[in-house]
Amino acid sequence: MTVGSQVKQCLASLKSIEANLNSLSLKAEDEEARHAFHESCLKTRKVLQQIEARVGELEYEEPQYKGF
Amino acid sequence: MIIPGWVEILLRTTVAFLILLAAPKIFRRTSIAHFSYFEASAMIIIAVILAVGSFHIGIPVGYSITALITWVLIVGVVNYISLKSVSFRNFIHGKGIPVIKDGKVLEENLKKERYTTDDLLKQLRARNVFKVADVEFAVLESSGDINVLLKKENQPLTPKDMLIPVAPVKEPQTIVMDGKVMDEALATVGLNRGWLEAELEKQGIAIENVFIGQVDSYGELTVDLFDDKIKVPEPKEKPLLLASIKKTQADLEIFSLQTENEQAKDLFKNSASEMEEVLKTVQKYLH
Repeated sequence: MTVGSQVKQCLASLKSIEANLNSLSLKAEDEEARHAFHESCLKTRKVLQQIEARVGELEYEEPQYKGF
Repeated sequence: MIIPGWVEILLRTTVAFLILLAAPKIFRRTSIAHFSYFEASAMIIIAVILAVGSFHIGIPVGYSITALITWVLIVGVVNYISLKSVSFRNFIHGKGIPVIKDGKVLEENLKKERYTTDDLLKQLRARNVFKVADVEFAVLESSGDINVLLKKENQPLTPKDMLIPVAPVKEPQTIVMDGKVMDEALATVGLNRGWLEAELEKQGIAIENVFIGQVDSYGELTVDLFDDKIKVPEPKEKPLLLASIKKTQADLEIFSLQTENEQAKDLFKNSASEMEEVLKTVQKYLH
């Protein structure tokens, strides 16, 4: 497995985490829990965007591994 | 016109039954075992008046009713005053008396209440205390029960003692009973039939097969089926999420060590620490 595909896999995991946290923040009834999930969701989204940008760079450096 | 005896008894009994239905309203809401001496006596007296009045034709109806009304009034007034005045309440309903204090049995108080050592030990055993030395403080309530405060080292361990953070919980809602969907309960947690159907589909269960279905305050559905041979998968959503957060965090850290690009190293390192924070915040909710 190339580094590029590993990072892409990580990106996919991040996307799933973000979505799960988002759905939990909507479902949770407790205000504090809601807040914690929401906050974490936003943080994950930030990380997600950074990694996404890095994937773009990697694809530019190694065009042969472009796409999934 | 003369009414035959049995018709009169029939009428009286019916009226007595109707009065009996209204009777619980005048008493304090507590189990009969916890009635004070006064309340228990009043309850029995009212019951006897109703019973005697219902079949004793010799007593005019008016007499029974007068006695009944007087007793009900007395109970009402006593309950009202005891709501307002502490000393009156203590006088009527009695007051808890300490029988063990600082780990020592107060023999004087036991004797005053005509409570034997055997009674004390029996009541302690009923509270799962077999050793008097384990007790810090115990009160003999007016109902005859003993309530016990154990010494701290004998009390059950709580998350607070262990300094473990725990997620708050709210009451779960029962949304399916005997295969029928409770729409009102669903609405109180902000869910609908569509969500329920999707959730059951995920677990591969038909709604007719659900005996009890409950949803907790984090939107997790747990079911008990009519057919106990079918294995219901345990909800895995939250543990999976926790594991995947941990894995991603570790991956990001590995990337930061592997890459030779300085800029990328920083980026991965930052991301890893961000994910660590996420992990810390949500960990207690996902267990």
